[in-house]
Amino acid sequence: MQLLGIRLPDNHFVKHALTQFYGIGNKTALRLCARVQIHERCRIRHLNQSQVTALTAFLSSPANSPPAAFQPLAPPNYVPPPLSQPVPAPAPREGEPVPADTLREIKIESDLRRQMRENIAHQRNIGSYVGRRHAMHLPVRGQRTQSNAKTARKLNRVERYN
Amino acid sequence: MLPTAVVQGGRSAWKGPFFVAFPNLRQALENNIPIKTQARSCTILPNFIGLRFMVHNGKDYVPVTVTQDMVGHKLGEFAITRKRFTYKATKNK
Repeated sequence: MQLLGIRLPDNHFVKHALTQFYGIGNKTALRLCARVQIHERCRIRHLNQSQVTALTAFLSSPANSPPAAFQPLAPPNYVPPPLSQPVPAPAPREGEPVPADTLREIKIESDLRRQMRENIAHQRNIGSYVGRRHAMHLPVRGQRTQSNAKTARKLNRVERYN
Repeated sequence: MLPTAVVQGGRSAWKGPFFVAFPNLRQALENNIPIKTQARSCTILPNFIGLRFMVHNGKDYVPVTVTQDMVGHKLGEFAITRKRFTYKATKNK
């Protein structure tokens, strides 16, 4: 199945297939499945159209996605409300900060690559040590260079693709 | 020399940034005199913008002009401490 230009193999678990996106790892993929209410053992071929639409809508702009619905655990004498009314979220208790919804703040694919390139360009423009190391294709974070700098020599660039 | 990571890790926010109070800060701003300093770990504050510093790198003092983009970084990030490696074949046989 194709999702936003990435081919997701039909036989894979959804929680694994979502890691094919640049910027989504195992943790974010699991959170994403929970947000869209896809169970852990669901494979790509089992997804129905509304779930695919929900995933596409979220991934195309995570910041504009609807906030997480409040789904409380049911006490023993729970009577579910009629389907037309969503369960109201409880009012936040005073003095306790409301936790930020970090899943809506993720960046994917081109946004993430752009942010990385901007960060490196910023370091280069101000002339800092980090910018110089990127320009020289050498390790940035204080690793040794007498041996073992192969990844840095391959990937560290000012115009960095990955 | 370890690069300072201001956003990730580094000093806790509640402590406030580490900086050195330069006594001749105001004069240097008015008269455009460079401030000679060995305080490489001093964070660049917004009121340093436009100043010229001479930052120590172990041996000499390197000129650094502070701009708006440099505000969260430290002075030592702009003064390299090691000489660039160059290979010159020796004349001894």
